[in-house]
Amino acid sequence: MRLFGGAGLRLILPLVAILVFVILLTFSLLRMVEVETDMRVDAEQNMLWVMHQSESAARRLVEATMQAELGEVDAGQIALRLDLLRSRFALLRDGPQHRFVEQIGLQQQLSQMHTTLQQLDPLPKDFTPAQARQLRLELATFPAFFAQAANKTMIREWDNLGNRLETSRNQLRQIIASLIGIMVTGAILTFTLVLALRLSRQRNRMLRRERDFSGLLISSSGEGILAVDDAGDCTLWNPAMSSMMGQSPEQAVGRKLREVAGFFDIVPVRNAVAEALRGTTATLLFQPLFRKAHKPPLYVDIKVSPMRDDGRVIGAIVFMHDASDRYAAKEKEAENRARLEHLVVERTRELDDALTRERSAANLYRNFAGMISHQFRTPLAVADSALQRLIRRGPRANPDEITERAIGARNAIAGLTRMVESTLDAARLQAGQVGARRVPCNLVEVLDMVGTRQRAASPDINIELHHADTVDAVALCDPAHAEQVLENLLSNAVKYAHPNTSVSARVHDDDRNVLCDIISAGSAIDKADRDHVFEPNFRGLNSVGTQGTGVGLFIARSLARMQGGEVSLLPDDGTTTFRLTLPRFRGATK
Amino acid sequence: MRRLAIKSLAILALWASQAVAGDAPAVLRVSGQIANGPILLDFSQLRDLPQIGIETSTVVTDGTHRFTGFLMRDLLEHLDAQGDRVMATGLNDYVVDIPASDFMQFDVIIAHSMDGKALDRADKGPLWIIYPRDDHTELQDIRYDYRWVWQLSEIEVK
Repeated sequence: MRLFGGAGLRLILPLVAILVFVILLTFSLLRMVEVETDMRVDAEQNMLWVMHQSESAARRLVEATMQAELGEVDAGQIALRLDLLRSRFALLRDGPQHRFVEQIGLQQQLSQMHTTLQQLDPLPKDFTPAQARQLRLELATFPAFFAQAANKTMIREWDNLGNRLETSRNQLRQIIASLIGIMVTGAILTFTLVLALRLSRQRNRMLRRERDFSGLLISSSGEGILAVDDAGDCTLWNPAMSSMMGQSPEQAVGRKLREVAGFFDIVPVRNAVAEALRGTTATLLFQPLFRKAHKPPLYVDIKVSPMRDDGRVIGAIVFMHDASDRYAAKEKEAENRARLEHLVVERTRELDDALTRERSAANLYRNFAGMISHQFRTPLAVADSALQRLIRRGPRANPDEITERAIGARNAIAGLTRMVESTLDAARLQAGQVGARRVPCNLVEVLDMVGTRQRAASPDINIELHHADTVDAVALCDPAHAEQVLENLLSNAVKYAHPNTSVSARVHDDDRNVLCDIISAGSAIDKADRDHVFEPNFRGLNSVGTQGTGVGLFIARSLARMQGGEVSLLPDDGTTTFRLTLPRFRGATK
Repeated sequence: MRRLAIKSLAILALWASQAVAGDAPAVLRVSGQIANGPILLDFSQLRDLPQIGIETSTVVTDGTHRFTGFLMRDLLEHLDAQGDRVMATGLNDYVVDIPASDFMQFDVIIAHSMDGKALDRADKGPLWIIYPRDDHTELQDIRYDYRWVWQLSEIEVK
């Protein structure tokens, strides 16, 4: 409030002073012009001299008549004097003189005297003394009248002069007062001028200091700062901007931004600057800034704000911050998260696998008795048949045959032993004592072994074994369980195969598993049975008349699942195909 | 005063003698530093000089008037005058010194008629020194006003 009052006073005081100054100056000028005009002296103001001359003319005429009476002058002389007096009357009855006579109130008398003068008889050539006397008497009052007129004129003129002097004195006094006023207002104006000058210098100094400080602030800022005018020309380019962009202020200021660097011509940056010039602040995060080819870019945060003057946008200011470190940290964090997610997926799958295996094992052991009776039957039958033949042959058997039969029996027993071990392993697995024994195992070799044995057990069925040449048949599994699964599937196929048909087995692979298809052209599985064939103790319609316990497929699937694999029945395409799937040892990267 | 009276009487005597000698009465006597002076001039002689007119106001009349006469400088040149001032005298014995420079600087005339009417001795005639007052503001001054000699009768070049 005090500041406002001060500022108002500082503004009003000089204005009032100037107004007063002008008024006083005009006033004194007008007064001076008046004085100057008054100082002209008109001849009309010389009436005293006119009266004196008139009196003199009258007296000399009277004097001449006296001389005429004495015969000293002639008529011509009288006539001259008379004319001179008449000329005085002519003067007094004309223009300004006439008015003055009116003023002093002698107009009427003057007129009477003029009439007297006009009515005088024309002077005769021979002017007698008597005539001269007569004329003198007629003119006797004239000199006295002009003496009286001179008297009145003097008084009137002095009155007039006194009045004029008084008026002039008053005017001069007013002029003097005005001049004093002019001096005072001049002093006030000078004072305010000096004050204003001092204030202005002070403000200039402050402004300069503020400007210097702003300049220092901008130049020492770690952020890149640039400014553009409303035409888009660069007006400011600080050192941080120089080091970020590799362009000096001299190269940048005065040019269009897109000419300074291509970075400013990419769409988001160009739009942000255009937005700011329309009055909207824009922020861009992690803009890649390529400074040199084949070098990693800087990542910068950009903020573009409009610059306003009295509400009008006069340009834009761009703040550019090097956010490369923050960007790297963010990238790292994203990478870590991705790895973690991958890990979780992996672990989850492993856990799922483990769960599946555990469930299979549990199922297996729930059906242990049935499985034992089923699984053990084939090797026992093989061993039994070998031994029966040896007994039947008796002494007729040669050593080679004995050895062959014995080896056949032993192999069957060895398979039985392995199965027992594996089953025990599974039991331990179930009890949490050991993990699944998973080792690299070539499925082609396992199939060969199983096939050979099956041919021996079922000579009347043609068993064909195939595998692709380029197959990677090494699976990650328990070899004994794999053997058992294949044994089950193959014997199952053989069991349900019509006589004199063939059963084929083929090892192949896909992108992550080793696969073995057991294909038979035997009696098709009833549609309704397909969903139940892997259930324990299930025997389908086609199993009527065949020997079995109904757990072979169940065991095969359980064992496969224990190893992270699967046994499935492929859709019916005229043949019956069971597929064993086991994870490949070398993983999914083919 | 008396001496003045005697002098004017002498002039009148001279004028009278001239009048008797010539056809017309003399109206202006010129004396002082002129060739063959002093000389008495009558109207016809004065009218032989180039005649010019001046339209001006005066301080003793209202309005402007047209005065006809001859230039003072023409007269002085005609008479081969040598002085730097002129003493002008009126019939009423009014005497004033006029610098000769006035006649060079301004078209000062000796008028013999006003508004086409010959000036009368019973008014301001027969001759009246007229300054072109309205044409030059510096002439609107009482120091010039007193040089307007009316009833002019004599000029002495000094």
